Amino acid sequence: MTPIREAVILPAIFLTVALVGGADFGQRVSLVPASLFALVLAVMLVAALVRCGALQTARFLHGSRTPLANINGFVVLTSLFAASAQLLWMLTPRSGLPMFFVDVLLFVLLLNTLVATTDRVRLLRSLAITLGSALVLKFVVLAGLSAPGTSRTARVMMALFDAATFGSIAQSPQPAAGGYLAFLAVATYLVGISLLPRPPEPIHTGMIRR
Amino acid sequence: MREPIVRSAGLVGALAYAAAIGWLYVTQPQTAAQVTGGFASIVGAYRIDQQAFDDGLRFFRQDQFVEARAAFARADPAERDARTQFYIAYAYYRQGWGRVYNDDALFAKGLATVDRAIAAAPDGRLLVDDTNLLMHSADELRAELQRGLTKDASDLNPMRVFRPRK
Repeated sequence: MTPIREAVILPAIFLTVALVGGADFGQRVSLVPASLFALVLAVMLVAALVRCGALQTARFLHGSRTPLANINGFVVLTSLFAASAQLLWMLTPRSGLPMFFVDVLLFVLLLNTLVATTDRVRLLRSLAITLGSALVLKFVVLAGLSAPGTSRTARVMMALFDAATFGSIAQSPQPAAGGYLAFLAVATYLVGISLLPRPPEPIHTGMIRR
Repeated sequence: MREPIVRSAGLVGALAYAAAIGWLYVTQPQTAAQVTGGFASIVGAYRIDQQAFDDGLRFFRQDQFVEARAAFARADPAERDARTQFYIAYAYYRQGWGRVYNDDALFAKGLATVDRAIAAAPDGRLLVDDTNLLMHSADELRAELQRGLTKDASDLNPMRVFRPRK
């Protein structure tokens, strides 16, 4: 891994995700720090990255590296954790049953990834699908259900749906910019993860076991 | 480029970026002016528009409070100047004050604004030397606004119609 990637590119990517991931579009735009559960999910995600070799902590923090290089590595690891927590917080619905189910879904998916996946490429694919599914669920499906109706019929249907579910499904309306920002954050995060140093290739000695 | 230079520059840049993000999370700016004004005030480079401030003061002394707030807002778009925010809060107080009842919405806005003034003042202490005002400190103004928003038995006292506007 080149010094410029470790000292400049990776921190810039992960800090940007940490910034964008906190954006919450309510009545006013605010930056909300990650919830406790998002921190737990982030720990699981980072643990899965370490377990499958996508994140090799010894390449960032090691006694053989210079102090300055170790500080750079520490910044990358810290910003990766912050980005993971903020991204998972951003992709989680804010209230009601959707928040509960998405939290459980992410917990189970990350637990399964942590336990079952040992290959870097498979983990990156699994992560892309997990994050992409959460994105679609929150910013397409739930946002569509919670969007204010444009016609009287749509508003009546929305009111009936809200009454039938005791208001437990509908979320606060999201502006379109929220979905685009979330997409940008997920894509940037995945690029950052893929830029982490790869594990060294196994050395082939050419010996054939008889 | 030598490796230590790249690493040092990257470290300084990352720490500055992280500090800026932390500042954004703490202060929650809502406009681009608040962001730029906030960063400018950190380095001591923030200045209010003196002409707009003088206009605001003139409107304020003529009891044209809406116009005064507009001019003060133009003078301090980043809401970082304690004195300007004090006058905005005072304008909310004077406009919302009533002999029989106060306008709670204006008083609430005044309270939020005076809190901002106190936060922007060094050590939270703000004194304004203006002979046209009856309250010279942000603490007095804050207490008066809070009293106005509090509902208690003294609201029913008929003698309160004789109380002065400060």
